[in-house]
Amino acid sequence: MVWISVMLIGLSVFGQTLPRFLTKHSLDSIRYISMDGNHAYTVKRPGVLGYISNFRSVDFLSESSQSDFLISSSRFAQKIAIEVINNQHLEFSLFKNNKILVTDIGRTQVKEIGHGHHSKLHLNDEWISYYQSLDRTLIIQNIITSKQYKIKLSSKTSPFFTPAIEMISSSALVYTDVNEVGHTALLQYNLQTAKSQVIIKSNQPGTRLELCQDEGYLAIGEFPYDDIERGSRILQIKVSDATNLSGFSTLYSSNGSDLGNMVCTKDSIYFVKTMTQNRKINFKHTEAARVLIKDGKVETLSDLQSVSQLINMDGRILIPFRDDFFVLNGVANLSEDKLQAPKPGNESGN
Amino acid sequence: MKTWPLFWQNQHFKKIGMALLGSCLSFPIFSQSTPLATPTKTDYPGIIESFEKLISIDQSKLNKKNDLLSKSGATLQNTKNVTEIELDPDFLNSVILHSDAGYVKLASSSKCMFYHTIINDLLKNSQGKIDQISVTYLNSKQERESALVSKKDFLNKLAYEECPETPKLIDQFQVKNLDKTVKETSFASPTGLDQCRNVYLEWLNSSKTPYYCKVHDYIQEAEKNLGDPKDLVQRKAVSKILVGKLKNGQLDFIQNFCDHISNEKLFCANFLTSSFWTKIGNNQADKIYLQNICAPIYKTSNLSEIQINDCINRIKKDNDLCLYPNGRSQGLKPSPQCDTLSTALTHSALKSNYYDCPANSDQLTITHLSRILMNISKGKSLETTAPCSAISTFNVLEFNKKFNNDERWKLEACYDDKLFNREVCAKTFFGDFNDSEMSYTKVVANILRKTRGAELSLKCEMIDSEEYNPLLLKFKSGCYIVYDRNKCFISECSHKVLYNDRSIDIIRLKNRAPLDLFPVNVQEEKFSQHYLLTNDFKQRGRILTNLTNINNYYKRSKSKIIHGVGCAENLLPSFFKSHALNQCTPLPFIIDGMIKESDKVTFVVRTAADSLQAPRLINWSLIFSGVKGYQRNHPLKHWTLYGLD
Repeated sequence: MVWISVMLIGLSVFGQTLPRFLTKHSLDSIRYISMDGNHAYTVKRPGVLGYISNFRSVDFLSESSQSDFLISSSRFAQKIAIEVINNQHLEFSLFKNNKILVTDIGRTQVKEIGHGHHSKLHLNDEWISYYQSLDRTLIIQNIITSKQYKIKLSSKTSPFFTPAIEMISSSALVYTDVNEVGHTALLQYNLQTAKSQVIIKSNQPGTRLELCQDEGYLAIGEFPYDDIERGSRILQIKVSDATNLSGFSTLYSSNGSDLGNMVCTKDSIYFVKTMTQNRKINFKHTEAARVLIKDGKVETLSDLQSVSQLINMDGRILIPFRDDFFVLNGVANLSEDKLQAPKPGNESGN
Repeated sequence: MKTWPLFWQNQHFKKIGMALLGSCLSFPIFSQSTPLATPTKTDYPGIIESFEKLISIDQSKLNKKNDLLSKSGATLQNTKNVTEIELDPDFLNSVILHSDAGYVKLASSSKCMFYHTIINDLLKNSQGKIDQISVTYLNSKQERESALVSKKDFLNKLAYEECPETPKLIDQFQVKNLDKTVKETSFASPTGLDQCRNVYLEWLNSSKTPYYCKVHDYIQEAEKNLGDPKDLVQRKAVSKILVGKLKNGQLDFIQNFCDHISNEKLFCANFLTSSFWTKIGNNQADKIYLQNICAPIYKTSNLSEIQINDCINRIKKDNDLCLYPNGRSQGLKPSPQCDTLSTALTHSALKSNYYDCPANSDQLTITHLSRILMNISKGKSLETTAPCSAISTFNVLEFNKKFNNDERWKLEACYDDKLFNREVCAKTFFGDFNDSEMSYTKVVANILRKTRGAELSLKCEMIDSEEYNPLLLKFKSGCYIVYDRNKCFISECSHKVLYNDRSIDIIRLKNRAPLDLFPVNVQEEKFSQHYLLTNDFKQRGRILTNLTNINNYYKRSKSKIIHGVGCAENLLPSFFKSHALNQCTPLPFIIDGMIKESDKVTFVVRTAADSLQAPRLINWSLIFSGVKGYQRNHPLKHWTLYGLD
């Protein structure tokens, strides 16, 4: 039996009981809910996306009854990106292009962007990116001007591969690509000159590069795929207004085959950490953890044994676990209606 | 490498040491005399430290003795007037302490075997390689004296005389004679424990074994750049010649024996619990599982037996070789590492010795269902010049036709009938199976007959654009459907139709290929593929909701095939990252094996995106979360995990 114990030196183990995410709506139907619970988007009936706010509920989008919706937001919390997945239960395809729309949070007017998947908002939500697998094309679009830029990935890239992308400025972005023998690279791309340069290249096959960004920094995580025994690391690049990215520091590294799935916040990076692993039968004990930006200290935050994903929704970080969502960061209970308390010195409430 | 701590830690150390000493006692030239004297005061805080002290005591004692003998010129030049030549006990102790436990065991099996191990430098003393041997003897005055004998003299004057077969053996292992010697030696792999024990004993007592182990050590040293760097280039060249004279299986056999002489269990375990790759080498498993892994290495799609065996050797040494297989049938990459893949394939029950191109599938329901149907029928896979995802479509369409469900197929090829001024459409699928009326090749030929007056005998052919050469005469006439391999899927296929070297653009494709694997509404439940499979096709679907259910199913089931749909984000979390709440990319999967280790359970799983030849090991927690996540999104909140029987 090959048990790989991950080094726990310098690792704070919280292992605390996490609160369940509670809302007034059925959790199955929610596609997005803001941190304060004031804006919620739910599937009201098959093919219909509703918007609920301040006791007001409207049918927001109506598509075919076999459609489902995905909603993502960014740290700027200005807009949401909506993907309409056609024939969700009739057409199982990993290459399917979804209809992509954007709207300002709280408004009902939508703007159609295009077709693709993995839509992501950037830079004050003025930009959006999405990917088209069959054409191996990454599309970056200015939402206001509708100007589009296209980046064609390597022709050898597998159709199953989806690149990660982060915009650094209105002219610079970073994205990932992979060659036919599995070496992943992080490339910086200039939208004005259409030129790219490799910033980081993995020196072994079988790992992937993840990206996330928050105030002043870009995080690059290198993690192995599920069945592969490799170490893990998280690098950090300080991002200023300049479009030139150079010099990164290692914030975290481990011999353990962490799952990754990073979420960046202002002061820490959340990720899924492998605590122990039985290589022979590919059995992992995984937990949510975070590494603090200021000192690189690593804290384990859950005690669920099998954490696989972390979701950032308007700053609330959730762990989907079997039939529940556990809250790592942010308000957990949105199920109660409370009247706002009067502000001090304004007891009358006026 | 073989090092002294391993020898010391070996539980058989005492037995082996005693065996060697015991056997020495029975030889006229050996004797047991004063045991190793220990200092009056020694602290032994731990076993390693005490062993280190023992080694240093032995070393200093032997060095002192040898220095004294060298200085006094006590070398045994003439053996005529001496009797009862015995090995010096301090020398013997030193050999036991510094030699590999396996080689000590080999040496202890007989007097001649001791000489053979000395000849081949398998035994070591405190100075490493044995160049001089300390002996004691009775001189003409019947007094016992000590002397140093060079290895050469020792062998010439004693070993060759007492073991007359030695020169012949040495000759047999000359490079020029090695081919013949190898041919006369049996390297057959044992298939049972009893047979393995016999093979082990045969090799332990064979006088050829020390010579084969010498060959093994020589190759290993050269490959690892060990030994004297001055003659390394020369040794590497000789090593290459030796490797060329032995087949991979023979080299593996020798390595297995020489590395495990002291451990019969390990020697046998390597034969009896062999990896899936070894089974392929022994023709116990299909070569298709390493075809796409090995073909890129040798740049050929037709691997020879030598290449397959060489590739198996490479796989054993390079665990990453399986990550990015190449070939026309591609799946989700990277595949598992070779050791994990071997475990998964060993425990896999699904028929998987054919290709089905999941990377060319934009309707994974079809890929998934075809795998189940192929497993049930156990039939031979069809040949196609279209992407092999067409095989899956053909299977699923035939299955639906059998139960009058092909009406639900939506993909059509249409043209305008100018005579009746109407659009004519025919159901079709992208494939070249001319036995099927719906095959695109047949549908296109029919349209050409009706619109271009083509002959009744016209047959269309699907051609990969990389193989299409417009200059070739064969493409100047007839009907060809030239498709782009990277953009030809089940629901859509980038292609052009050529008829008598002219492009045909009158054919329009309509709709895609939606198909409900599990029912999405109550009214149409009977048309879902799972319903057809379990009711009309009588595969008895048993709903499995927990590990106990699955355990019971595996105890009873003959097929051992579980199928289901789960969210890709849960099943394969490092391939599919969640960006949004309730994000679920439905991914059908087949479980065809279960592995238990203590309280941990993991399953052999092929998602429909995975290559048939590259199953993964996924634990129950991820599978449960995946199915639960899909249930949350499903319009009927259907639980989608069923065992088939």
